[in-house]
Amino acid sequence: MTGQLKLLGLGLGLLMLHALGTAVLPAGARPDLILVFALALGLRAAGTKALVLSFFLGFCVDVLSGSPLGLYAFLRGTACAATRLFDRALYLRAPILWALFVVCYALADALLMGLTLRLLVPEGTIPWSTILLRIPVSALMSAVLSVPLLSVLQRIDAEAQGEGGWTSLTSRVRS
Amino acid sequence: MSDLLRRLSYSLTYLTLVSLCAVGMLAHRGPAELGLARRLVLSATLPLQRVVTFPVREGARLWNDYVGLIHVRKENERLRGRVGDLELENLQYREAIVSSERFQRLSGFRAKREVPMVPANVVAEDLSPWFQAVIIDQGSASGIGPGMPVITDSGVVGVVVGTTPGASKVLLILDPQSRVDVYIQRTRARGSVRGRSQQDCELAYVLREEDVRPGDLVLTSGLAAVYPKGLVVGEVSRVERLPHGLFQHAELQPAVDFRKLEEVFVILERRQLPADEEFSDDAEGLWPEAKQ
Repeated sequence: MTGQLKLLGLGLGLLMLHALGTAVLPAGARPDLILVFALALGLRAAGTKALVLSFFLGFCVDVLSGSPLGLYAFLRGTACAATRLFDRALYLRAPILWALFVVCYALADALLMGLTLRLLVPEGTIPWSTILLRIPVSALMSAVLSVPLLSVLQRIDAEAQGEGGWTSLTSRVRS
Repeated sequence: MSDLLRRLSYSLTYLTLVSLCAVGMLAHRGPAELGLARRLVLSATLPLQRVVTFPVREGARLWNDYVGLIHVRKENERLRGRVGDLELENLQYREAIVSSERFQRLSGFRAKREVPMVPANVVAEDLSPWFQAVIIDQGSASGIGPGMPVITDSGVVGVVVGTTPGASKVLLILDPQSRVDVYIQRTRARGSVRGRSQQDCELAYVLREEDVRPGDLVLTSGLAAVYPKGLVVGEVSRVERLPHGLFQHAELQPAVDFRKLEEVFVILERRQLPADEEFSDDAEGLWPEAKQ
């Protein structure tokens, strides 16, 4: 329970940091901390709670942005689920592989966002030129920050070992 | 059975939550009152967000003021000259207004000169690079409701899309979901301003044969049931006439500098398209105001 509360606190803290980044950093260089967090949550063994937390944080982004309600909740929840899926095929806990995965997923996330928006607002103009300029740098920034964030999450999970952390997941996958 | 459920719990949770999101997205149709969950999240996160971003905003403001002072003497001289020109221009406009008012009285129109407005401060920007919205520190407790236009002394900012008692979410005209029905002041040509998540907008649906030039002032037409007529939206910055098609393509520089947006005004007047039966009601007029 303490581990879950810590994760919720960390998630809300990252949301505030994300808001701070919006106020401080230029549009093209803002890391998507909530995406990174949702991806990292996908590595947890206590998957369902992590999935719900990812959806909740996405919902918070929906509330604080001009997006249609549920768009970010869907994308961040899907990010969490995708990590869980890929984690069965790839070893994502190594820092380099993890950072590479974050970059690739951030690009895929932009594509998914575009497709979802196309379905939702068919008459709307998707600002692809703007997005294509901003997303790659933002993805790189996210990747850089993803490595320390992963180690923080691993530490939280190690402390709350009983609730199912990385170690137990690793042993389960190997067995 | 319970083992199967345990195995499927992740997938079932994912599918349930995605379905909820899909319902939320499909139900999203323009400005509306915020639901309980959204109000709770906004009310809980906004004070935190304000605390986090306050030092940054104040720091930036101090820095801007300091840098601005370096050029203030030169700027002063230039502005003095400009004030003289504007005073002369102002006199001519006053004269025009007096004449206009007289004509309006004669023709029986009653123009509403003052609309109730609420000043508000921008406290948070959009967290997503895909959308353009801001959060202001006044909400339904001040009489603000979804669908109300938001302006500054420079021009149109956007429209309120959701409120809590102490805060409101404003969709900027820069957002790709935003549409503003406009006309060009010089030629009265009609069009629609669409956002594209940049600092400028697109001026769409202007007929090819219309005369549009860079520098033309673009004003709200008052026909799309959100903004009152005659508010400044911006200036045409580029015009491109394609060899084919019904419309010409133009770009618009908004009158408001959204990078420095701090204080705004919310017009406490919600306009609504009348229901079909109301078209026949002469007493209501063509565009009756919504009851607050």
